[in-house]
Amino acid sequence: MLSGKGFNKLYNMSGGIKGWQSEVAIGDADRGLELFDGALTTEDALIIGFGLETGLRDFYLSMIETVTSEEAKKMFTMLADIEILHQDRIVELYTEVSEKPISKEEFLAKEVLPAMEGGLSVEEYTSRFQPDMENEIDILSLALSIEAQALDLYSRAAQNATKPGVAEIFLTIASEERTHINHLTDYISRIS
Amino acid sequence: MKWKQFFTPVKSISSSEAKGMVEQDGDDVILLDVRQPQEYEAAHLPGALLIPLGELDERLDELDPDKSIIVY
Repeated sequence: MLSGKGFNKLYNMSGGIKGWQSEVAIGDADRGLELFDGALTTEDALIIGFGLETGLRDFYLSMIETVTSEEAKKMFTMLADIEILHQDRIVELYTEVSEKPISKEEFLAKEVLPAMEGGLSVEEYTSRFQPDMENEIDILSLALSIEAQALDLYSRAAQNATKPGVAEIFLTIASEERTHINHLTDYISRIS
Repeated sequence: MKWKQFFTPVKSISSSEAKGMVEQDGDDVILLDVRQPQEYEAAHLPGALLIPLGELDERLDELDPDKSIIVY
């Protein structure tokens, strides 16, 4: 249907989604987009993104207190520390696009959304994957799924963005999420 | 004009090739999910755009013809 209508770079993925060997996302096409309702500017989008990274870091920090094995505590500590790097990257992006850069402390002082990265709640993630929170691979797989969900959310937010520059910043964050997925995938390969 | 579609090749690629394209040039690649909404909701490729096959003809303006489009 698309061929012959100006779409010349068309590819059919053989095997469809069943052949896809990587992480998938769930939820309808509008899932989580309400988080970005207030994203009128690129700065707004980044502040919201920062809040979602913070939500995920808070989740990992809370899990350090919940799990009992030392290995699991170390894993959640590592994941929480990684989120600091992700937060820093968002602050960097903000500095690049804004005429009035703000510090990380100012970012942290802003209201944190009642959701974490990817737009699903902790309960939704855990009920979907039912991870053994004491098992390192399960923990990493959960983290991987959250990053995949985040990639999906930012990509869909870019598709829906109408304000100047906002789609581009969502695509930039989505690209960052893709990098996070690759890092986690490499790490899982190394330890499993 | 309708004959043109029969002469425009659509290349089949594997899922690993699709993944490689997205990783290499993500901003210029559209993952187009043409299944039904309930199938998309159950699982979809991260970042995929949902346009069910039955709506595709009316929603072509949502697709950028300059980008690579991977359909599944």
